[in-house]
Amino acid sequence: MRMAKKTDLIQGTLDLLILKTVAHGPIHGYGIAQRILVTSKELLQVQQGSLYPALHRLERKGVLKAEWRETGAGPMAKFYTLTAAGRTCLRQEMEQWQRYAGAVAMVLES
Amino acid sequence: MHNEVAHHLHHLAAEYERQGYSREEALRLANREFGGITQVQERCRDERRWVWTTGLRQDIVFGWRMMRRTPVITAAAVISLALGIGANTAIVSLMDRVLWRDLPLPNPRQLTLVHWKGHGYPQELADGASGSMSPAGAWDVADFFSYPAFAQMRKSVSALASVAAFTYPDQVSVSFAGRPTVARERAVSGNFFSSLEVRPQFGRLLSDHDDTYAAPAVAVVSHRFWTRALSSDPNAAGRSIAINNETYLIAGVLEPAFYGLAPGDAAEIYTPLHHASFLHARSGEMQNALENNRYWGMQLVARRATGITESRLEPAMDAAFRATWEKPPTNLAAAPRISLDAGRRGLGILRDDLREPLLVLGGLVTLLLVIACVNIANLLLARANARQKELAMRISLGCGRARLMRQLFTESALLAILGGIAGIGIAWVVATLLGQFVAGHETIAIGFALDWRMMAMISSVAAAALLAFGLFPAWQASRRLDAGPLKHGAGSIGALSRRGWNSGRWFVTFQMALSVILVMTAVIFTRNLAGIQSSDPGFDRRNLILFGTRPGTSGYDKPRLAQFYFRLDQRLRATPGVSAVGLASVRPMDMGGWWEAVQIPGQAKRYDASVNAVTPAYLPLYTSRMIAGRNFDRADLTAPARVAIISEDLARRMGGNGVLGQRLEIVDGRPGAKRPEYDIVGIAPAIAVTSIKERPSALWLPFTGDAPEATVVLRTSQPPQAVLPAIRQAVSDVDRNLPMVDTITMEEQISNGLQRERMFATLCSGFGILALALSVVGLYGVISYSTSRRRGEIGLRLALGAQPRNVVSLILREGLGMAVLGILLGVPFLWLGGKYLQKELTNMKPLDPLSLILALGILLLAALFAAGLPALRASTLDPAETLRQE
Repeated sequence: MRMAKKTDLIQGTLDLLILKTVAHGPIHGYGIAQRILVTSKELLQVQQGSLYPALHRLERKGVLKAEWRETGAGPMAKFYTLTAAGRTCLRQEMEQWQRYAGAVAMVLES
Repeated sequence: MHNEVAHHLHHLAAEYERQGYSREEALRLANREFGGITQVQERCRDERRWVWTTGLRQDIVFGWRMMRRTPVITAAAVISLALGIGANTAIVSLMDRVLWRDLPLPNPRQLTLVHWKGHGYPQELADGASGSMSPAGAWDVADFFSYPAFAQMRKSVSALASVAAFTYPDQVSVSFAGRPTVARERAVSGNFFSSLEVRPQFGRLLSDHDDTYAAPAVAVVSHRFWTRALSSDPNAAGRSIAINNETYLIAGVLEPAFYGLAPGDAAEIYTPLHHASFLHARSGEMQNALENNRYWGMQLVARRATGITESRLEPAMDAAFRATWEKPPTNLAAAPRISLDAGRRGLGILRDDLREPLLVLGGLVTLLLVIACVNIANLLLARANARQKELAMRISLGCGRARLMRQLFTESALLAILGGIAGIGIAWVVATLLGQFVAGHETIAIGFALDWRMMAMISSVAAAALLAFGLFPAWQASRRLDAGPLKHGAGSIGALSRRGWNSGRWFVTFQMALSVILVMTAVIFTRNLAGIQSSDPGFDRRNLILFGTRPGTSGYDKPRLAQFYFRLDQRLRATPGVSAVGLASVRPMDMGGWWEAVQIPGQAKRYDASVNAVTPAYLPLYTSRMIAGRNFDRADLTAPARVAIISEDLARRMGGNGVLGQRLEIVDGRPGAKRPEYDIVGIAPAIAVTSIKERPSALWLPFTGDAPEATVVLRTSQPPQAVLPAIRQAVSDVDRNLPMVDTITMEEQISNGLQRERMFATLCSGFGILALALSVVGLYGVISYSTSRRRGEIGLRLALGAQPRNVVSLILREGLGMAVLGILLGVPFLWLGGKYLQKELTNMKPLDPLSLILALGILLLAALFAAGLPALRASTLDPAETLRQE
């Protein structure tokens, strides 16, 4: 799996991916990175160095909230959940992304 | 935070372990994959908090640490700033209050002072006057009008303006609830307060109904008087108060904001004109002062109606004014005509008096502020030079220019805040000092408070200087992206430091030049004061006590007055410790006095003389001998032949001792009136009579005992304070209800007359010392900085056989060179300033050589001290040590 060819994230999409991932339920940082990797069929690799600053930024903006919880195995972990503002934000970001992706696709396929 | 990353690493490592790596290898790989943990943590921290606040805390903590590492420089910068801000705020606040600020009344721009201008005293129109007249250009401007003129003007311009009258304050004896005190009473027309739109604190103010003979006598008191003499009695309105032994009802108390017609207005009691105390006590012309159009004793103020200009009002008032004259004067072109002046700032009581002194002080504190700013610049540059390596290090480690600027900005701001806070304290101290000086020994309140707007203005000037010079090094350092300064050892002089060092030298030279002026001014004024204080008044000023007594305003009529004075004299003479007692109608050394023009009948030449009516024992209090002729004796006090004693210099001006036995007349302003004539029976030595500053021509007449008030002067055989209780007892024995007014020693009386000089000397010395201290700090800073830069060179010199004294002289030469250059540059300024002072303060000789030598000596000594310390330190360097550091 370390050998797979990975795509760098397009600037600005990290927040969207995090929000979408967190929308499924409380999850910690490592879990977010893993889930993005898995659901993208290992195509999208989140830079660990960007993940945590992004999480903290989203927390400060009030779209994520975090709490420390016991994990099944191992140490305490910080679990992130979406706030009400986060859900609105996710919806808007998704619409925007789809419009954007659709537009790019139309240009490329013309 | 840390846990979150640890948790992530834990999972990553677990993953690698699952793939078959050993535990250590898995941890290593996880760490490698994650990247720089610290960087991530830092970026998270930046995201989590408001960046600038964390940065700010860091900056402040670091700045504080840096400041504590260089406590001398920090303290010097803070003190410089505080002194500059404090002294300037205090002086400018006072200037604002006295010179510029409007009266605290609604629409002050509507207020107009009514004056007239003419040529000299209007002898054809007026017999008596009370007010002031001063030359203004080709004209004389005067402020006095007759009451009929006031009434006429008030009536005829009532559509254009509301005109009110008032008098100069009279000193009166007041008694409230059995406690006697002394206060100043101003008589005002009934519409005075309504014209000015003053409001009462409580009770009511005066109205036209109060201003008639028939109305009961009422008085309004100032808020200050209410607190000081009525013990802030909340029920004061309606209670009675005795003013010069006449009963008045207190109508109300004025609002606290109303300090009078100008800052420094001493009036505390306001009575209607028809119940003015001067109408009661005195005889003759005063009694019908309000009906007599030849007694000009009222001052006028007007509030113009909205939209009425002074030029519109002036002709209307002029016509009304002329209508009250008996007949037009012979020279109509020179006759008085109305001249209106802006009244928004009130009367010029302190303004005229203090304008020049305040402007001079303002100039001096501005110089002080400049010196302080230069000092701050110098200190910051020196420190920045010392920190060059640190700054270069930070830049080469990746610190951004903005971050570096911000750090230095924060440090400067910290200094500014500390300096500002200390400045408030200093401003307060200087303001208190100033308030005392301006108030003098009289209870004049100028209601002087620090002005926060001024403080803000001056602080921003200083803060701007601070920031400019605080940021300059950061800008300079961040432009050099190479690590130039890093390559040099501690002892080298890099290109940057050489430049900074040079600008420091010029700063110090400039400072020295400015200090010359301040130190010189301090020396001049201090010497001036010392000169006046030690000048010989012509008599022994020790063991003399003065006090005033006012039987005439406490119910004594004419026949009883003489009796009272005789008994007082006898009783005081018999008091143990009192060796001599004299009575005089005018208080000596009180700066003003009673002046008359005198002449030998038939001669044209007139002489101005200070007059006093005295008892036979009065002159011997001061001088034991007469130049010629005789002293007064008891018989002179009652004899029909009127006699006089003149001072030696008056006799000389009149033609020598030959005038003894001749007649002398007092030239009175009234035409046709019989001039009082006197036989000159004695010539006394010239002594200081009105002020220690001069010994004017003097004329003494016998004290006839019908004056309503007198000053008693006693010579004691013991220290005055020891005899005072017995004197009080003696006065109380004669009349227990009569207060002793202004009981002080002659030394205090003389000193009270020198308030102005003392204020100047004290403030200028203060500023001079500050300037000197700041310059010494500046010079010391630059010299010690440059010696620290030259440690290597000095070490080398010492190693090659230079003697310590060679090193000392090397450094002293450098320091004194700067000082001498600065002093030389300062002397032309001094010459200009000296000319200005000479113009303003005519009795001083600012550029006398001794003062010059004294001032330059002080400056050179200070420079020697400032350069000497680093020089001595450098000469004791261990050459081996310094060379090893190279």
